[in-house]
Amino acid sequence: MAMEINSSEMKRVQLFEVIGRVDSTNANELGTALDKSVDSGRNNLVLDLNGVEYMSSAGLREMVRVLKRVKRVGGDLRIANPSERVKEVFELAGLDTIFEIYPTQVEAVGSF
Amino acid sequence: MNDVSRLVIAARLDAVRHACDFVVEAAEAAHLDERTVYHCQMAVDEALTNIIEHGYTYQGNDRQIEITCQVEPERVVITIIDDSPAFNPLTHDTPDPAEPLDSREPGGWGIYFIRKLMNDVQYQRVGDRNHLVLIKQLPAPEVVTQPGDESDTFPVSLLETGAVKISPAGRLDSKNSPVLEKTLYSQLEQGHSRLFVDMVDVEYISSSGLKVLVSAWRRAQDNGGDVILSGLQPRLIEILEMVGFDMLFQIFPDLDTALAAHSKKP
Repeated sequence: MAMEINSSEMKRVQLFEVIGRVDSTNANELGTALDKSVDSGRNNLVLDLNGVEYMSSAGLREMVRVLKRVKRVGGDLRIANPSERVKEVFELAGLDTIFEIYPTQVEAVGSF
Repeated sequence: MNDVSRLVIAARLDAVRHACDFVVEAAEAAHLDERTVYHCQMAVDEALTNIIEHGYTYQGNDRQIEITCQVEPERVVITIIDDSPAFNPLTHDTPDPAEPLDSREPGGWGIYFIRKLMNDVQYQRVGDRNHLVLIKQLPAPEVVTQPGDESDTFPVSLLETGAVKISPAGRLDSKNSPVLEKTLYSQLEQGHSRLFVDMVDVEYISSSGLKVLVSAWRRAQDNGGDVILSGLQPRLIEILEMVGFDMLFQIFPDLDTALAAHSKKP
């Protein structure tokens, strides 16, 4: 399996733990999972990237799209625990100033 | 002695992974550092994804893409050859700045990253094939960078309305962004919090330039002000949109329009 997404419902936050590789073959699955939460009115999202070894721009594109969507309804999409490489990719695109990025899942969840 | 390896994949998204693995293997065999390996993998992924999505428009199941990877002492050269219609990613279309965000294609990231991650990208149409060459310099021993001329700032003028106009020029990359930072911050420190940044002479902006803009924007907002952008080339607008900055900044086609819009406000 190239990518696995585990979603769990917290008090104020929907938490997504992503494991594996996010690229153009599966980025839409990630987007769909996030969309489903927003569809059901849960707009505070945390994406834990601890298990993501690789992410291409297809993954970023979905994340930016969902971020725009949740921001419009007063929610947010926050990132936890990206690897150094994934963090660098965020920085290259200037996304580190757009997304709130936390070193741990606990901090990201607690930030809401 | 150079190591050259070659791989042919079907022009399908689910085959891109093989090319990624192939490049990672070739790069690791040459003992390249983990960061360089990642950059090569991502550039190849982005390039192939673009070719399959836009070149073959997902109709390339029976077509083949050839990838060669050559590790030289100081650089890695990756060549990607495909027979989709001619497309030079280095001159790809810039969107119409008048087009509203929601109706635009969200694409453009791939090429952005290829150019960011690689040191040089070359395109050539050879016969009925596209040749895309990605070149990654291997990291050199650390070089101490010379600090730039400390007195350098971009031109600043105080307008009649009390607003401040700042006119950066050239490339806002990691080399020049500190100059912009210094210019913006010296105005903010002097109590000017409404800054009109006229970007008409800016050719290029990198993530370091974007960072300077956004941190100045935050600071200005904290002081009840704003950083207002104008005169951006379509390509720069595209970059700002890709990173979502169009949601933060007010962006106007030219300085006069920006000033006129603000003169109406109390």
